[in-house]
Amino acid sequence: MGKGRYLLKRLLYIVFVFFIISILMFFIYKSMPGDPVDAMLGSLKTTMRPDAYQDLYNRTAERLGVNEPLPVQYIKWIASMLTGNFGYSTQYQRQVIDVIGAPMLNTILLNVFTMVVVFVISIPLGIVTAVRKNGVFDKTVQVVTIIGYSLPSFIIALLAIFAFAVKIPLFPISGVRSAGADAGGLQGMLDMVWHMTLPVLVMSVSGIGGITRYVRASMIDVLRMDYIKTARAKGLREKTVIYVHAFRNALIPIVTITTWWIIGLFGGSVVIESVFLWNGLGKMLIDGLMNRDFSIVLTMQMFYVLLSLAGNVLMDIAYTIVDPRVRLEN
Amino acid sequence: MKLRKLLSLLLAGAMVFSLASCQGQETVTNNESEAASSDTASSEAESTEPTENQLIIGTITQMESEFYDPSFSNAATNYQMYDLLHGYTTVTATKEGEYEYDPTVVASHEETENEDGTKTYTVTINDGLVWSDGTPITAKDYVFAVLLESSPEMAEIGYPSQAGYSLVGYDEYLEGSTENFAGVHLVDDMTYSLTVKASELPYHYDITYASLWPRPMHVIAPDADVEESEAGAAITGDFTSELLETTVNDPETGYRAHPSVVSGPYTLESFDVSAQQAVFKINPEYAGDYRGVKPSIETLIVKLVSSDTMMNELEAGTVDLLVETSGADNIEAGLNLADAGTVNYNTYYRNGYGKIAFDCSQFPTDSKNVRQAIAYCLDRNEFVRQYTGGYGTVVHSYYGLAQWEYEESKDWINENLNTYEPNVDKAIELLEADGWTLGEDGQPYSGTGLRYKEVDGELKPLVIEWANTDGNPVSTLLATMLPESMEAAGMQLNATTMDFPTLQNAMLHASDKIYNMYNLATGFALASSPWYYYSKDPVWMQGGYNSNWIADDELDAVTQEMKSIPFDDRETWLTDWREFIKLWNDRLPDIPLYSDEYYDFFAPKLQNWDATPVWSWTRAVLDASVE
Repeated sequence: MGKGRYLLKRLLYIVFVFFIISILMFFIYKSMPGDPVDAMLGSLKTTMRPDAYQDLYNRTAERLGVNEPLPVQYIKWIASMLTGNFGYSTQYQRQVIDVIGAPMLNTILLNVFTMVVVFVISIPLGIVTAVRKNGVFDKTVQVVTIIGYSLPSFIIALLAIFAFAVKIPLFPISGVRSAGADAGGLQGMLDMVWHMTLPVLVMSVSGIGGITRYVRASMIDVLRMDYIKTARAKGLREKTVIYVHAFRNALIPIVTITTWWIIGLFGGSVVIESVFLWNGLGKMLIDGLMNRDFSIVLTMQMFYVLLSLAGNVLMDIAYTIVDPRVRLEN
Repeated sequence: MKLRKLLSLLLAGAMVFSLASCQGQETVTNNESEAASSDTASSEAESTEPTENQLIIGTITQMESEFYDPSFSNAATNYQMYDLLHGYTTVTATKEGEYEYDPTVVASHEETENEDGTKTYTVTINDGLVWSDGTPITAKDYVFAVLLESSPEMAEIGYPSQAGYSLVGYDEYLEGSTENFAGVHLVDDMTYSLTVKASELPYHYDITYASLWPRPMHVIAPDADVEESEAGAAITGDFTSELLETTVNDPETGYRAHPSVVSGPYTLESFDVSAQQAVFKINPEYAGDYRGVKPSIETLIVKLVSSDTMMNELEAGTVDLLVETSGADNIEAGLNLADAGTVNYNTYYRNGYGKIAFDCSQFPTDSKNVRQAIAYCLDRNEFVRQYTGGYGTVVHSYYGLAQWEYEESKDWINENLNTYEPNVDKAIELLEADGWTLGEDGQPYSGTGLRYKEVDGELKPLVIEWANTDGNPVSTLLATMLPESMEAAGMQLNATTMDFPTLQNAMLHASDKIYNMYNLATGFALASSPWYYYSKDPVWMQGGYNSNWIADDELDAVTQEMKSIPFDDRETWLTDWREFIKLWNDRLPDIPLYSDEYYDFFAPKLQNWDATPVWSWTRAVLDASVE
């Protein structure tokens, strides 16, 4: 089986799984107790006369199409979704596409910065600790990373706010930008980065803890291999042995977690977003669920499904790049 | 600040290569010149330093890009911000919590009772009022508002279109069977008249029928006009739902998100949904509120804060004002700042209460005795002490502590209402009087275990099904305080935790399972309408008004009587109100649990701050100044 055929097969698999999951998701969410029309109309129920409210309810239900049988609703929903119409948000009373952009961008920015910080720190740290295995530095890093990995992020967040925003006011306590600050221009960007620093640091702590240990373990395995001994015996410089021979071979597990991190760029963190008031996708998803805003929730869920499925294919391709022994047709 | 930013940049050095992506954040602005300049190189000169005459208000509820009215969005903070933007309502609520014609807006008014039982309100507005863009405000803008907000075109774009519900001809106008609204007339350039249906009269708050507000026709329907005829006023010209989709609903340009021309004390400068910040600037054309008071604080910034860190923000100076702060932790943190001289504060009681709401249509809480017995099982003073940390009080019936009726009845309430002091013996006595005298085996109750009662030949246990919401501290506290004493009285409390939409469904009898009691909170509107909330008519129960599903003849009768008392007959009203709350205190459809004490904490630079439960921060800000 050739590479192209393999990819085609995987693509068909993605389409099949996507539709199966879309059916399951749609029916699960629609069977949740709670009326999206009531949730959308909110307090109007007790500010309008009951008959007027009922008229409005009927009109709204008809407009949203929630009175139709579920299979019909599903077909309409999936057809719209595939043509780029993600539906109407009952919570925001706007098209989903109009409300999802700002939180998605906030989430991506926060996660990209976090990913950069995590990988810039944890990969070299993992390699160094593997090379200096059981030394004082390694043991110290092991303890620190375990602490960073184990502490719940909301505790780290509150401690960080107390230390770096209240006691030593280096960073703002919360928010995306300073009150009244303009969003545009260099000054606006610097202001946003200044606001982002503390949440990025907090999110990085557990990531650094986890990935450092992952890289270390992977490197230790590789450093035991015979070809590393051969490389050393050939008199290659230690840096070449570690960074060219060992690290490249330790990349496969790192590719796995990197892929999931990239997919995770679009996943918000409810805890971080709530503590730092970073208006992102995590809180939007929870709010959508609580308000029975199925258009928002289903759009986000299907987006994540698609990302996960595509991520798996990308991961396979990445394996072939970092390890030529891996063949897609296998 | 620059040094701090430099430090932060050094610490986050890896971040810089992605800076360009930050530029995608979009800020909504109504200032075209500013919007344009933000894209130019000159934006580097923009400052994030605060200007002097500004006030930063912290809010703990999420804001939405909605600035029209509560019918599109009732998000709590948006709800308040409408007052900043939209003014000149002809009938206004005063600082004392009364309704009156706004003399800044209304030149004269006349009420005529018609032979057919309808009533016509004719209102002439003052000359000289203008929109924020300088366009004169005339009676056409008022008539346009009621026609627009009752129209089928507006209904098509998702608006309730109920503004003219009480007026003659509303149904035909909304249906679209006529273009003229029979109960609305444009008498002349500065005068309109509204005719109220006979079926809506008499009504205690009938002055509110005369109330209208202007909408900028030249913005919402620029090629339309309002024309008068004997059949009533009508909107003519280009007025379609397609037009409204653009001029009202469009998230980029529509009036909902971009109220570019307003009549209130402030204009919306910008709203940044990403940063959760709204910036308001003084409307220089504003003529003042009903007292003629105009704002002096040039810029208001409303920003989202977290309840966990809002006091730190106040201390750090990143917010200047926190309104309606409740809960012991935050209040005590604020009071500590006040002791240190960092902040000042203002305090008042919330005009509402947290409660246990009974479903009075369900067995066994359909019995008054059972409801009262549960009340006797709860030490409400201790509940308030633990829940509010001492910053709250107990109420005993359906009243708010900011209502004038309460103010005039404090002694009467102390003398006449049952305070339901904790008393398990009294609970037992009530249950036995109600027939709960049997044990599981049908024999006389032994004194321990669950009580039973024979109903239609069937032995039924005294089990109370309680629905509560997750993460709610009231539920947690009730779960520790109630079960033991209820068990001592022979009752069993079964708690089920769910999310709010599920609970709401159960309360509306729209789910498979209906519960006996729920814990919720309630607030009192200025026009409190108990005749709907305790009506026996099933329509009001199914409609969610009578959420207790109580069908009590006396309660219904006394409240219906209140509905027709003229607004200025305070004596009769007060007499009936007392009768109502005494009856309510006996029937006990709810157990009132606590009424919070609210604190507004603010930076010392804010002067003349005088918010109350009926005078919200959006109105108090007009009198305030910044030094």
